[in-house]
Amino acid sequence: MTRDATITILVPAALRACCGGASELPLSAPSVHAVLEELEKTYPSLYRSICDETGKVRRHVNLFVNTSHVRDRQGLDTALAPGDVITILPAVSGG
Amino acid sequence: MPERVILSIGTKKGLFVADAPKTRGSFALRGPFGPGVGVYATLIDTRGKPRLYASSCNPFFGMKVLLSTDLGKSFKETKSAPAFPKEDGRALINIWSLEAGDNKKDLWCGVEPASLFRSDDCGDSWEMVSGISNHEHARKWQPGNGGLCLHTILRDGKRMHLGISTGGHYMSEDGGRSFKASNKGIGAGFQPDPYPEFGQCVHKIVSHKDAPGRLYIQNHGGWAEWDGPGGPRPDIGVLRSDDYGRSWRSIAKGLPSDFGFPIVVHPHDPDTIYVVPLVPMTRTCPDGAPAVWRSENGGDSWKRLARGFSKKESYFTVLRDAMDIDELKSPALYFGTTTGQLWIGRDGGEKWDCLFDSLPPIHCVKVAVV
Repeated sequence: MTRDATITILVPAALRACCGGASELPLSAPSVHAVLEELEKTYPSLYRSICDETGKVRRHVNLFVNTSHVRDRQGLDTALAPGDVITILPAVSGG
Repeated sequence: MPERVILSIGTKKGLFVADAPKTRGSFALRGPFGPGVGVYATLIDTRGKPRLYASSCNPFFGMKVLLSTDLGKSFKETKSAPAFPKEDGRALINIWSLEAGDNKKDLWCGVEPASLFRSDDCGDSWEMVSGISNHEHARKWQPGNGGLCLHTILRDGKRMHLGISTGGHYMSEDGGRSFKASNKGIGAGFQPDPYPEFGQCVHKIVSHKDAPGRLYIQNHGGWAEWDGPGGPRPDIGVLRSDDYGRSWRSIAKGLPSDFGFPIVVHPHDPDTIYVVPLVPMTRTCPDGAPAVWRSENGGDSWKRLARGFSKKESYFTVLRDAMDIDELKSPALYFGTTTGQLWIGRDGGEKWDCLFDSLPPIHCVKVAVV
């Protein structure tokens, strides 16, 4: 773990309007939780689309660090290393 | 520009807008806006330059409020949507009601879990109204099948009436600062006490500017055959108040069922009201034969209006906000169905035609002449 890991966030098409159309956002943060805190400051609309007002990740939003779902690692406490990629994906749905 | 009739139609898959000349002969449809996302509330704000609002209730990414300033040709999100304060501990699940406030930029918004928000800048920022959102009853309200929603906001000067399912009718006489439950005469079929202080499943409340103090409710009826604790509760479904909502009495006599969701009042006659009775168990049209029922004497008697509807094999539901009436001299009613049909009832509901028959399931319908 590093205090200033430079990571990349992959933004799904449905949320790119929240960050000026960007599909990728570079960020320096030591954990997934810190990433969300940074997004709350820099892209509040994107943050609100990922987390509800209590700070919980929305039920149907999945966060991956590289290919691992954060729930299979240490949740929002998952540490990040330089070069990690965080992917934001909506859950699959039907109907 | 000649006046046009605008319909704002909230569906399971986004918002549609239809418009027609005042003759209402043919409606042109556009949309969906906010495609793929359910819309449970819409408002055509005709104060000043018309504005169309719609909730966009995204189960993935949260609630948004959509705004159009070009009569529904395009929409954009407002800068924010209602949200509970972080320390509150609740999170917004749905937006059920959008209503105009006093000033041109003022809006009110009812949400799930049942709470009220207010905006003074056309929906760009919102403030929770604590008088009802933190009411001493709030944590005791229970969700119905549709969720725990604040779905009706009626205003009359300093008076405000709210409909909550399931919470009942709450009223304010100080402009929305404080609220009290006011459910005397409003029954509940799903509680041991047939007439509790609060907790009723009110479906919709309407009023008329020319009849101060009078209100009509479509409540959750259908308990005439109930044989559980407290016994049968006939006729608790359609009610009227003549004292600003302090007490209520049944006006369901003559209807085939006192269960239904919407209730609408005629724009030029406070004695004329419309309901859509449904079979309580299935929430569909009795005998598969749709009908709107009209009273022209404030609920003393009812007439079945079914000219143009199928006489059989039609089993749709009309939800609480899915019926409205325009304000033309001879007004037309409009309702949307859970099967995606949009119907118009010209001449006050005397003759019905299906305008669109294959939309997504319809949650809400609003009409305005602009």
